[in-house]
Amino acid sequence: MAEWDGRGLPPVAAERMARFARSGLRTSLLTVPGAVGVQSVGFDPIGEVMGCIVEHIGWSGFGGCGYVGGIVGIGGFSGFGLGGPTVTSSGSRGFVGFGPYVDALYHGYGTALERMTEEAAAMDADGVVGVRLSVSQLGGGNREFVALGTAVRARSRHRPGRVFTTDLAGQDVAKLVQAGWAPCAVIYGISVAVRHDDWATQRQASWGAGNTEVAGYTELVMHVRADARHCFDQRVRAAGADGAIVSSMGLQIGEIEPSEGHRDHVAESTVFGTALVSFHRGPTAPTRSLTILPLR
Amino acid sequence: MTADPTALGIPEDAMRRLAEMRPGQATTLFTSDLSVNEFLLVREAGFRPLGLVLGSSIYHVGFQMGRWSSNQELTTLSQAMYHARELAMTRMEAEADQLGADGIVGVRLEIEFKEFGSDLAEFIAVGTAVSADEPQTPDGQSWRNNRDQPFTSDLSGQDFWTLIQAGYAPLGMVMGTCVYHVAHQRFWQAMGNIGQNVELPQFTEALYDARELAMSRMQAEAEQLAAEGIVGVQLLSLGHRWGGHTTEFFAIGTAVRPLRADHVIAKPQLVLPLTDS
Repeated sequence: MAEWDGRGLPPVAAERMARFARSGLRTSLLTVPGAVGVQSVGFDPIGEVMGCIVEHIGWSGFGGCGYVGGIVGIGGFSGFGLGGPTVTSSGSRGFVGFGPYVDALYHGYGTALERMTEEAAAMDADGVVGVRLSVSQLGGGNREFVALGTAVRARSRHRPGRVFTTDLAGQDVAKLVQAGWAPCAVIYGISVAVRHDDWATQRQASWGAGNTEVAGYTELVMHVRADARHCFDQRVRAAGADGAIVSSMGLQIGEIEPSEGHRDHVAESTVFGTALVSFHRGPTAPTRSLTILPLR
Repeated sequence: MTADPTALGIPEDAMRRLAEMRPGQATTLFTSDLSVNEFLLVREAGFRPLGLVLGSSIYHVGFQMGRWSSNQELTTLSQAMYHARELAMTRMEAEADQLGADGIVGVRLEIEFKEFGSDLAEFIAVGTAVSADEPQTPDGQSWRNNRDQPFTSDLSGQDFWTLIQAGYAPLGMVMGTCVYHVAHQRFWQAMGNIGQNVELPQFTEALYDARELAMSRMQAEAEQLAAEGIVGVQLLSLGHRWGGHTTEFFAIGTAVRPLRADHVIAKPQLVLPLTDS
């Protein structure tokens, strides 16, 4: 078998699609309530779909904090006092920060989602529901990004133009569609920021400092989260959606010591969610909740 | 199912709308940290989400030793908890103010002690800023509280909807905290307890003291907001990283005021769910 060149789907996935087209078997990764939920709003689950990529991240960026010779911001062209001392991955690159690392993460998630939607399109689906995105470290700087979901087809004469994706469960999709909202895409914003620990920060963080906010670390986490949220907002806008529901936000902070007595902190922030469009006509919500008391 | 979705036109309308989407077209964009249930119930209660709002602070908690054999509040630590939470909350409220919100719902207030540094904790307040469809409450006042700040509420979507139906409006989250050091027993006291079924009065008094302090501070905050009551109260005891004898007692709830004189809730239907979960 000729080696796969990375374009389109791998040969074994293409074979699965061909087998699927021949048989009438319908598979699904949805739970029973999830499957009943999507069927109640006119979607039929047709098959499970997966996209995955193993990526080697060899170059994370220069990783510097821009602190050279006592002046913050020299090494990064966004410095010279114009930005703060926190270097985010969306700022101008220069010789600082972790821009290439974030680009690699975007490429990983993006390719996994793309391959998953390609399988769904090959099945003639309208959307993928219950998408689970995961990344695992394989060692040696290698990461595997996997996107798994269930392809569904709408009982409708109109086709949506692009396969919609959502990380919400089947029941949640049913609730939204009943209320006049349709999911359109899984959106994510990722940012990595680095900040040098200057004198003030070290003083405020030392054990004898008493009750005080550590302004330097607060600035780092505020900037990195704001950047991740901003990337998320931009992507929702770029998709042409009306809004988004955030399903998870993560933050990790670590310490690095590039040289003796020189300490930086690095923070990574992620925001994952689903973009929505509204298709209900009126200004108020069309659903009316019923209060129930379960006998259990 | 009682209704056929294709007869109601649901997937048709949804597919048609998706087909009309153009990347980058101008829309009124919102983001929301609410779960799907909360998002839909908040809409039904007459509010629309404006955006996810967030405030955080990394705080160095000062060092304070409790005396071995006395019950005492560790005021330095209590103040640290108050100050840090206030920093996070006011930053979140400032973001909501910028969006022109009437309130913030679904607020999560979390503390995470960091592995690096010494006694560093991150305090984070996340919520969704909402604005009301009607600019005034049913009794003709603003949705904002008496400090002209957007109301805050940690109630879930279901609780928030039920509260509005019952004729109450949230005013703000109120909290009381007390970091207390419980005395260690003296050696002979401890020996005297072996094999006995007995109350330990100084431990009892210590825990009473601590909880009462936390609850009365929460009440004082609610009085400042001119509230009629506090709902959804959680009373937590959090050890954080201080060991067994130092605990933070934390009371948090949502202060409310009535929107009308009667508070009638529709009688719920009784149902028997045919699922296990």
